[in-house]
Amino acid sequence: MKQRKSSVFLSYLILTLAIVAIMFPIYYAFTMSTFNEKEAYSFPPKFLPSVHAFDNYVKAWETVNMGRLIFNSSFIAVTVALAKIFLSMLAAFAFTYFGNFKGKFFFFTVILITHMLPLPIRIVPTYELMRTFGWVDTYRALTIPFFASATGTLLFRQLFMTVPSSLSDAARIDGAGPMRFLFSVLIPLSKTNVGALFLIEFTYMWNEYLWPMIVTNSNNMRVVQIGIKMLLASEAQAAEWNIIMAGAIIAMIPPLIMLLLFQKTFMEGFSLKEEK
Amino acid sequence: MNSRFPNKLLPYLLLLPSVVVVIVFLIVPTIQSLYLSFFRVSPFGDRLIFVGWYNFTKLFKSSDYVDSLMITLIFAVFVVIIGLTVGMLLSVLLNQRLKGLQFYRTLFIWTYAISPAVAGTIWALMFSPSSGPVTYLLKTFFGAEVNWMMDGRVALLAVIIAASWKMLGYNIIFFLSGLQTIPQELTEAAAIDGASSVRRFFRITVPLLSPTTFFLLIMNTLYAFFQVFGLIDIMTKGGPGDATQVLVYKLYRDGFINLDTGFASAQSIVLFVFVAILTVLQFRFAERKVFYG
Amino acid sequence: MKKLLVLVLLCLSIFAFGKTTINFWHAMSGSRLGAVDAIVEGFNAENPDIEVVAQFTGSYAETLTKAIASYRAGDQPHIVQVYEVGLQTMLDSGAIKPVFELSGPDYDWGDVIGPILDYYTVGDQLYSMPFNSSSAILYYNKDIFRAAGLDPNEPPSTFEELYEMGKKIVESGAAQGGISFGWPAWVFEQMHSVHGQFYANNENGRAAKATEVFFNDDFGVKVLAEWIKWAQAKVFLYGGREYDANQAFLSKQVAMLIQSTSSVSSIESKADFEMGTTFLPSIPGYPKGNSVIGGATLWVMKGHTDDEYEAIWKFFQYLMRTEVTAEWHKSTGYFPATNSAVKILMDQGWFSENPNHLTAFLQILSGTRIPEAQGVRLGNFVAIRDIVDGAIENAIQYTGSDYEGEAKRILDDAAEKTNTALEEYTLIYGK
Repeated sequence: MKQRKSSVFLSYLILTLAIVAIMFPIYYAFTMSTFNEKEAYSFPPKFLPSVHAFDNYVKAWETVNMGRLIFNSSFIAVTVALAKIFLSMLAAFAFTYFGNFKGKFFFFTVILITHMLPLPIRIVPTYELMRTFGWVDTYRALTIPFFASATGTLLFRQLFMTVPSSLSDAARIDGAGPMRFLFSVLIPLSKTNVGALFLIEFTYMWNEYLWPMIVTNSNNMRVVQIGIKMLLASEAQAAEWNIIMAGAIIAMIPPLIMLLLFQKTFMEGFSLKEEK
Repeated sequence: MNSRFPNKLLPYLLLLPSVVVVIVFLIVPTIQSLYLSFFRVSPFGDRLIFVGWYNFTKLFKSSDYVDSLMITLIFAVFVVIIGLTVGMLLSVLLNQRLKGLQFYRTLFIWTYAISPAVAGTIWALMFSPSSGPVTYLLKTFFGAEVNWMMDGRVALLAVIIAASWKMLGYNIIFFLSGLQTIPQELTEAAAIDGASSVRRFFRITVPLLSPTTFFLLIMNTLYAFFQVFGLIDIMTKGGPGDATQVLVYKLYRDGFINLDTGFASAQSIVLFVFVAILTVLQFRFAERKVFYG
Repeated sequence: MKKLLVLVLLCLSIFAFGKTTINFWHAMSGSRLGAVDAIVEGFNAENPDIEVVAQFTGSYAETLTKAIASYRAGDQPHIVQVYEVGLQTMLDSGAIKPVFELSGPDYDWGDVIGPILDYYTVGDQLYSMPFNSSSAILYYNKDIFRAAGLDPNEPPSTFEELYEMGKKIVESGAAQGGISFGWPAWVFEQMHSVHGQFYANNENGRAAKATEVFFNDDFGVKVLAEWIKWAQAKVFLYGGREYDANQAFLSKQVAMLIQSTSSVSSIESKADFEMGTTFLPSIPGYPKGNSVIGGATLWVMKGHTDDEYEAIWKFFQYLMRTEVTAEWHKSTGYFPATNSAVKILMDQGWFSENPNHLTAFLQILSGTRIPEAQGVRLGNFVAIRDIVDGAIENAIQYTGSDYEGEAKRILDDAAEKTNTALEEYTLIYGK
């Protein structure tokens, strides 16, 4: 179908204007990260990049020990994403391939309840729990409490239900046990969904701010988001925006890479789901 | 229904890890929240005094809490409306078969990769009263002097903009994948019938997209309630006055800064009731479409 | 080769057995972080058997929260820096080891500057170690004063003058605003002590636990009403709850700034204009009080070994060494804690070369040592600061013309909340 020229032009126009508006803060953040102190404070503000980027990025990196923070954030995000995916696959498998075992509904409800209990609702006692376990300021506190996923369980349950029963029949006739069926048939079938879920959970954990802020004390355990806060705080006497923005740009790169890598899988992972 | 494996024990073993995590880290702490909400707790936790409903009556008698509730609602309504309308419009435009749109799409979902804290940092710079570009542009072109540190409404507006901006990438991703499921023939047929593009949008696209929209409605609401903590903490810390003190921020402040554990726990319980209602609504209306972070 | 091996083993054994580690949590950021690290390094170099590990744990409020949490978890640091607001909480916590227990009863604290000692002394006993004490002063930009046709050597000394000068500055376009300040609730407390007014009952909570605040009385209302008036005339540009105001001052948006003395060094090094400092402005007709001490002290936590307490005491003595405290003052602007350090600084000619570092001293030494100016001690003070900060932020958004009425209404509301907070505190800890 041919669209009219005017409407095509209008589309481009609106989209371009929107892009400019949406990208401007990112552009300006980048520009700021190339300024020296004088340029950063200048009024009216400057809108073209300068040449001091390297110094700022080095300073931001060193001030909060960014290498360590990126490692921590990545480690936590990857661990949680993988654990969530794996645990929810196991649960979904239990709900779809074992008939109506006793307590099924009860367990299903228990897992679904995760939805209703976002962290802020239980933050004080969860923190107390970490203290009881002696987990404060450890990777355990930053990862294990996040391992359950109602989302994942529901997603994989839906997916598994659409898998033709001929497959599991065949598996049984071949004498393959349930675990083998899970690993050699179901998991390979769920690849796109795993990709999509991984991106979502990775980003979710990478962005987590409140919990790491409360549950970590030492510099070695800090995550990137808290690094940003520390950059802001450590220049409390007068915000050094050029350094802070260098930190902000660094902080957005890893999830951006993830997004670009998984972008296609992500879209497919969801459209697939709607087709059934 | 899938065919079954005959194992009796295996399903329980498979469920065990998830269920343990949920019970230990989610359900038990929530019950403790409920318990603590009936006490006053000393900052060092060494004294616990039963106060009955005191924390709850204090909540609803306190103008601060009611204000915070109102602010949260205003904040959420704006974030959701901006997120959904702008997101949907841009997605529909992006869903056309035009040259170069793939590149556009990548740029539009960029903000998905930006955390609330980083978004807050960037917008704090944009609105910086001394040298921020937004402040500057408004002053130069409209002669308007905005100082979000002094004016609560400006501050609220700033956090709404920042929060909606951050969420736009997410909304566009989901709208785009929702749009891909709408058969092209349908809209094309309508076009041949002479329906204008505006008409097609409202008669075909909007209704067919409604599952996605509903899902995003829930997600954006939850985001506005629970995930903006970092953004608020970095931008305004709830100020000026209490103009941007959303419920989560107040909860954090009372629980972890003012060290009033009992009062904070009572707030948790109120939030829980709210989420419970939202969840029930969600399962009522959109059982099929659930996807949380 | 053998020698090397022995050396390595020796070093290892020191690391593994010989060292007493002292964990020290603090809230010093920016240039002050470097100053803390320098002190710690100096001490560690001198004491190879002790290692003080300094750790920045966020803002004052966050550091206090973390210290409390860690104590409950049983892995508390040895030393934690707590701001003046945390005084009552720390005293009641049962989690601390008072400094007088470390020093022994015979230690002579006489060298510590009077008002600092007063603030942290309870019943003649010193509870926490003076470290970074500050006060508030008025900073001003002489270049802007000149541009507005004002005498750069005649900064305002009264509210009235401040308002008039501020108006002149704004109207002449020399700057966008007249004044900004950091820590608004603290400045509000300063105003009470400078004018010899009690902020709360029971002698500011120092004779017995405070149960009621007085800041909604005539004096407080008058101060806040003035601030509203300034804000409406753009003489006062609000500058956030901590240090954001510094940025407005540095970027020449405002001509004056009321801020902690701890910003002196940082502002001097960053300002590209001629900066002057002076005493806090006052309202004539009130008794003369004094500016009050702010900043923080070091608290020692319970639950460590005697060896460790000995090491801590060594560290504290190091902090009070004349050259250490003098250097600390130079690099930050905080008061040097002892009189002998002040003397050394004078002998070195430091103050005549850096008159801005002297202002806070002169201010505090020229004031009186009355109970009204000894500093406020309240339970739940963190929450109370928050309430007052919020009240001030609400007040300056007012657009009507009944300044006093609005100020009264807002302060009454804040006082009611504050009194509830005080009551809740006594509910837990008794009166």
